[in-house]
Amino acid sequence: MKELIAIEWMKIRRYRTFWVLTGLFLLLLPIWNIEVAYGFINLGGGKNGVNFLSTAYSFPEVWGNVGFWGSIFVLFLSILVIIITTNEYTYKTNRQNVIDGWSRLDFYHAKVLLVFIISTAATAYMFLLGFTFGLINSGSAANVFSELHQVGYFFLLSLDYLGFALFLSIWIKRSGLAIGLFLLYSFIIENIAKSIINHWTDLPVGNLMPLQTSDELLPFPLMQMAKTMIGQGPTISMNVYAGVTVFWCAAYYFSGKMILAKRDW
Amino acid sequence: MEPVLSIQNITKNYGPIQALKNVSFDVPAGSVFGILGPNGSGKTTMLGIILDILIADAGTYSWFGGMQKDAARKQIGSLLETPNFYHYMPAIDNLEITASIRQAGLDDRNRVLQLIGLAERKDSKFQTFSLGMKQRLAIGAALLGRPKVLVLDEPTNGLDPAGIAEIRSLIKTLNKEGITIVIASHLLDEIEKVCTHVAILKKGTLLLDGPVNDVLRCVDQIEVRAADLLQLQNILQKMNGINKIQLADNSLLLTCAPGVIPEQVNSFCSNRGLVLSHLVLKKKSLETKFMELTS
Repeated sequence: MKELIAIEWMKIRRYRTFWVLTGLFLLLLPIWNIEVAYGFINLGGGKNGVNFLSTAYSFPEVWGNVGFWGSIFVLFLSILVIIITTNEYTYKTNRQNVIDGWSRLDFYHAKVLLVFIISTAATAYMFLLGFTFGLINSGSAANVFSELHQVGYFFLLSLDYLGFALFLSIWIKRSGLAIGLFLLYSFIIENIAKSIINHWTDLPVGNLMPLQTSDELLPFPLMQMAKTMIGQGPTISMNVYAGVTVFWCAAYYFSGKMILAKRDW
Repeated sequence: MEPVLSIQNITKNYGPIQALKNVSFDVPAGSVFGILGPNGSGKTTMLGIILDILIADAGTYSWFGGMQKDAARKQIGSLLETPNFYHYMPAIDNLEITASIRQAGLDDRNRVLQLIGLAERKDSKFQTFSLGMKQRLAIGAALLGRPKVLVLDEPTNGLDPAGIAEIRSLIKTLNKEGITIVIASHLLDEIEKVCTHVAILKKGTLLLDGPVNDVLRCVDQIEVRAADLLQLQNILQKMNGINKIQLADNSLLLTCAPGVIPEQVNSFCSNRGLVLSHLVLKKKSLETKFMELTS
């Protein structure tokens, strides 16, 4: 395993796109959160706009809030995973790796490990941001860890998005098409499908679709409030969403494995 | 001695197209084994299968008498179709990846770079290389860790004449060191100059395989003419060592057993009172032979 990670690192450490996208993630996520926390981004716009969101930057709400915005920025990392993986197909280096003595599974597992490592690193960064914002805005360290499971949710969400990105890349092989389908699916297709399913069944089961299920773990901060105000129908517990997320991650892993084993390279 | 590679009844289809039809052959240890065939005859498909990047529809192959396949490939240096490297990385770093996967020492990179004449360009990115340099790097990568077997698909692709000669002599040198080499090529010249064994493929079918001298043995023919062709034919039918007599363009084409030389034909005829007006030894070129075999 150490060997696979070492070789994967050799592949990306000189890849400029990797550093640019990672750098943008690291840079833009805190800037965005600062803007939200200090009311630059608000309802109505300008200095007199109504600032709904900044209240959520003290403990323990900060975890859910930073987690939600982080979940959007995970798109950067998903596209990075797609580019790194489809590059191998474009330049046929996946073939060369196997020709040189890796099994197909070695090649796959190196990428799966990369997904785990990026998810872990992103989660650590999200924790760091949440902790810093919380300390600055709470003034005290009370309740710091009472909503800490949101950090775990963020890890699951990253794994879900990056795992899906890896699966698409392995399946489709082509960079542009994979990125296009990824964005189309995550923004449009899944939302259409979710709404249809929820409408037909009159139950929120559409929320259990591959990416939506982990989105549900970190909802838009004001959504909870709105839902409580409206008075909502049946809900699904967070544990179910977390469990289904793990299920989808396993499904990506095994489907990807099956595709690789059977297909010509 | 046990063959380095044994191929049994390999069949491969791409949709309706049969790329390989029930192909079997062995690659003896220590040979330079040429896989020869026109474009689209299945050479690269065959190499892709034995390197585990293509999956055969039927049949089996085994390296080194049945070694686990991933382990076997670590001991095989291969160049398949095109040089495949990370375009954004310098040559030296690309070789680091190859060496790491092959579990060869990193020090070997410098030896290999010297050997292929890219030592000075080792820090240049792969994408800045010319076609010939890319090809050299791919050959260099194949040599990392001193593999027991080299599998080379069109190794002289993109090289200039000097480069082609270099690779040829490199192949011969490596073979003398005991390395078995499998080369796929459509260049007869290449096969003839370096190979000890050959397999000829045509549209996915194995036509012939064996030592190069048996498979590509060129049978010489002697062309003779005399005023009375019929009499000439009658006389020659009595001569030992003439296997076949064909009438062509007012002359006779004799297919002879090895060792029969034109002088013998001449003296045989003059002893029987017939003067030849024309006597030529016709060397059958390898190209003619190849065309005959594959068309």
